[in-house]
Amino acid sequence: MTLWEFLGRRYDDMLEAGLQHIVLVGVSVLLATVIGVALGVATYHTERPRELALAVTGSFLTIPSFALFVLLIPPLGIGFPPVVVALTMYGLLPVVRNTITGLREVDPAIVESAQGMGLSRAQRLTRIELPLAWPVIVTGVRVTALILVGIATIGAVVDGPGYGEFIFDGLARVGSPVAINLVLAGMIGVIIVALLFDTAFNLIGKLTTSRGVR
Amino acid sequence: MTTTVDSSKPGRTMIRLENLRKEYPKEPKPAVDDLTLEIPEGEIVILVGPSGCGKTTTMKMINRIIEPTSGRIIVDDKDVTHEDPDQLRRRIGYVIQQIGLFPHQTIAENIATVPKLLGWDAKRIDARIDELLETVSMSPATYRNRYPKQLSGGQRQRVGVARALSGDPAVMLMDEPFGAIDPITRDRLQNEFLRLQAEVRKTIVFVTHDIDEAIKMGDRIAILQEGSRIAQYDTPEQILTAPASDFVADFIGAGASLKRLNLSRVRDIELTQWPTVDRSADGAAVLEALRTSDKGCALVLDEQRRPCRWVSATDAHRADGRALDEIGLPPDAVVEPQATLNDALNELITANYSVAIVVDAAGVYQGIVDIDHINEAIRGMRTAARAKARAGLAEEAADPLVKGDST
Repeated sequence: MTLWEFLGRRYDDMLEAGLQHIVLVGVSVLLATVIGVALGVATYHTERPRELALAVTGSFLTIPSFALFVLLIPPLGIGFPPVVVALTMYGLLPVVRNTITGLREVDPAIVESAQGMGLSRAQRLTRIELPLAWPVIVTGVRVTALILVGIATIGAVVDGPGYGEFIFDGLARVGSPVAINLVLAGMIGVIIVALLFDTAFNLIGKLTTSRGVR
Repeated sequence: MTTTVDSSKPGRTMIRLENLRKEYPKEPKPAVDDLTLEIPEGEIVILVGPSGCGKTTTMKMINRIIEPTSGRIIVDDKDVTHEDPDQLRRRIGYVIQQIGLFPHQTIAENIATVPKLLGWDAKRIDARIDELLETVSMSPATYRNRYPKQLSGGQRQRVGVARALSGDPAVMLMDEPFGAIDPITRDRLQNEFLRLQAEVRKTIVFVTHDIDEAIKMGDRIAILQEGSRIAQYDTPEQILTAPASDFVADFIGAGASLKRLNLSRVRDIELTQWPTVDRSADGAAVLEALRTSDKGCALVLDEQRRPCRWVSATDAHRADGRALDEIGLPPDAVVEPQATLNDALNELITANYSVAIVVDAAGVYQGIVDIDHINEAIRGMRTAARAKARAGLAEEAADPLVKGDST
């Protein structure tokens, strides 16, 4: 059976796994963005907390994903929850780092003139600094999405949803003719989902960035 | 919405800094050391001094971008030292050297910042944006919806001023507002700003390190020494003619007399008359006119009495029947009465006969300015200022608030 015939026959499964993969990565990216931007905003001003935030979120990435998924089974069981938590942890670094970089790159003269006009600290942050840092932050979120699309496949080890199932199925049947097709199908699915996320964030970035700073 | 001139209360103090002090941890000397200064309503007061003298720190304590270590700030008869700084800043216009327009907002949105914070309704804000853009000579239709990056440096500076005026504040703080602009545009913007100030009469605290800008822009100048100590606080005329200390004299630098020439205008001095002849006359008339004067040449005027030629005795001898406007030299160095003596000096230095011809707006000959006028004007100003300084010293001795090395 060629790969082409295989994809034709498993079309429904492919589509379902794709949707699951998108939901899984989407939820994780959203969580990583919310937590990461908050962490960045809270720490960008002072050196120590800033270094700490980057060190901690960076160290998450050094934990082997296989191990982390398994470690999360006791508290969270199997399936969707442990995978989302692990992916969120992996996704923090690019968001935190780009939030900090973006906020620190805002011209201090702009912030000072905002302060001189009587914008409060919160108003300066939400109306001036975050909108100006936004293009950089969106780039970080985009990187996070791409990293998570790949790592999400390994979530199948704890019965996580998505294309990982195909790949692990294939792995379990090494030697049989269907094994290669399963792995290739999973891989193609992952690539398509990655391209979708990339396009989506590219578009979001363009639509949400002011014409004045593009 | 524009503040009108209130001449009923001249000289009222708008800003009063009382024993203001700013210390930074780890720095042995205070940045601002016990400064007391009164800034009169409707005037431009320049804080000028060498870098590191504390002039910017002083200005930024007025809107409390920098919080004073001790002392009091009184704005419009109200102690604002402990008021909510955001509320205070909304009533004080603020322009910095880099202008700091918000790049992600349109020009209209930039200008609307303070009115929005003050809770104006949309219609009033809209009208205010158009009014201000017109005030700074930018067409609202063209510029309202542009972004800062689409403007030139000079236009950004204008928008910066418009934005600072948006909430119609009584007080404006300007930190080297023309510092980052090329010299030609700077000169134009300074003139525009002075014209605007003549209309709006804001109380302006203006920081610069450039004494020439201080002399041009200031109604009053505070020359500051290290620690923001006042070396002299006076009008530009007084500072130029009677510097209170060696520090002030050094800071003004060489050419104080030349700078002073920027302060008086051709219309303020009595012009010298010069031998003139009509264009229709001939060489003999020129020689006749010159015989009764000590000058070497005559000015030929046309039917409307506009200067059209310089003719010397030598030229007249060689005329050979040619008309007077075909011989001699063209009349260079023409100035109008509102030109400064500095302009006149510039012109006459390079002129053929070392004089500048003064004409009115219609180009009609009024008289001439020569180097003797300039000398005399400088001497006159110096004498007047010295007399005033002597009188002022007696007053200051009785007024402990004006501190400085004025002896």
